[in-house]
Amino acid sequence: MNMNVVEASGLGKRYGGTWALRECTLAIPAGHVAALVGPNGAGKTTLLNLAVGLAEPSAGAVTVLGGRPAGSPAALDGIAFVAQDTPLYKNLSVADMLHVTRNLNRRFDQPYAQARLAELGIPLNRRAGKLSGGQQAQLALTLALARRPRLLLLDEPVAMLDPVARHDFMALMLTAAVDDGVSVLLSSHVLTELERVADYLILLSRGRVQVAGEVDDLLASHRVLTGPAAEVDRYAGRPVVHAGRAEVQAHLLVQATADDPVPPGWTARTASLEELALAYLRQPGAAALHGPGRDRGTEKSEVTR
Amino acid sequence: MYSDQHLRVSDAERKAASGQLAEHFAAGRLDQAEFDDRVGRAISAKTRGDLRGLFADLSETGAPTVPELPRGGGGSPGDGPRGPGSPIEFRLDAASGVPTYLQLVHQVEHALRLGYLTLGDQLPKVRDVVASLAINPNTVLKAYKELETKGLTAGRPGQGTFIQATLSQVALPELAGLRKALLGWLTAADGAGLDEDGMVALFTSALRDFHERRSGSRTRGGAASSETEGVA
Repeated sequence: MNMNVVEASGLGKRYGGTWALRECTLAIPAGHVAALVGPNGAGKTTLLNLAVGLAEPSAGAVTVLGGRPAGSPAALDGIAFVAQDTPLYKNLSVADMLHVTRNLNRRFDQPYAQARLAELGIPLNRRAGKLSGGQQAQLALTLALARRPRLLLLDEPVAMLDPVARHDFMALMLTAAVDDGVSVLLSSHVLTELERVADYLILLSRGRVQVAGEVDDLLASHRVLTGPAAEVDRYAGRPVVHAGRAEVQAHLLVQATADDPVPPGWTARTASLEELALAYLRQPGAAALHGPGRDRGTEKSEVTR
Repeated sequence: MYSDQHLRVSDAERKAASGQLAEHFAAGRLDQAEFDDRVGRAISAKTRGDLRGLFADLSETGAPTVPELPRGGGGSPGDGPRGPGSPIEFRLDAASGVPTYLQLVHQVEHALRLGYLTLGDQLPKVRDVVASLAINPNTVLKAYKELETKGLTAGRPGQGTFIQATLSQVALPELAGLRKALLGWLTAADGAGLDEDGMVALFTSALRDFHERRSGSRTRGGAASSETEGVA
């Protein structure tokens, strides 16, 4: 399981004069549910399209599943991709959707797909466009999983779903991760649920990778400090990711572990994944690329204005 | 069928009945007051008939919760014929700020302290937890590893994770007595005009005093207590 499911080096994509993705270097290890997070226009869809071979890089290279060039037959064989807005032929019945997908794919596990749809209570004779939004998303996911991929890529899979449908979709996806050892890379701008779902985080901002690493490592290497605003300058020498400052009290998200001393008058606590992601996204100059401990000296830090 | 109605019951049966009531409570068939009342009666039950009476208006197994929730993949036929499965079901409090894996660890410890889980009981399978809570499988594995490190559970390859140590320091009947005393205290506090937050604050502060006094007396007799710890 030492394989990287996605590996990019110096990867870039330019549309006209604009770089949608730039100098992207990352390696996502197998066995994770990795979340690709960033504001709209950060390059999430571009990165996914490059990884599945739907777009050609303008610079650098990307491979999947241990070095297979993106888009090559060997790469396509091991991956499945669900694009944004759950693409289905809305006028086809669920059964016809299965039929088409089986014939368009070199490998398709029909019994698996049928068993899953039966479990989900999705009727085969219903037209895809007549299913609820949640069921359409589950149908698209089931079709992708029936390819029996080792890597599943999903672009904003739950953005349009209500909370119950989101829960059910995530449950289906995570059950596949347990049952078949599928690695997952999903993009999202819904931060709140990712903490439960993802164990690997990639933050993209303005076309660049800002943070990448295992969630546990990221959370263990950051603390939220609360204390008197007048003393914020004490932290000038430490990697402060983000500072929220009022007249009297200040909150700092700093790169520090639970073992680091807390100055008198300050309190420290663990950051939530959402806090951490938001802090970095608000400070596009800050970066924590290599997980804790490494290269800390070279990381740029934004000290409060 | 009713021939064993007057047979005397054992502590194990009383405990099993309490566990079943907990399941019904978790499934929403009993409210807190009914649950408290019935557990109290289960613990003081003398005969099988006493115990049966507690379940007269409840279905016989916890199974009927499954068809109500046709969630992604729960209860597939591959789950195996291990019978009733785990006596507990996890739930998450998203607003608590406690990491998910720790919430799972705490819930197992809590169930052990209150006797809902006991030696040999099985924890929910990783797949089932993932399917019902929609959480990352590595989170469940991390919680189970933590419980194993604490010596509370052991994994059996191909079967699952089982309880191998217990945390309940007191036997179930005493526990019920203590609970009753506490309920009496709560009623008194309520009568005196304390609201829930006030009760929690008072209890917490009393607990802190108690703790300090005890650790104070420990430090005074420091040598003795460290010796006993060494023996234990």
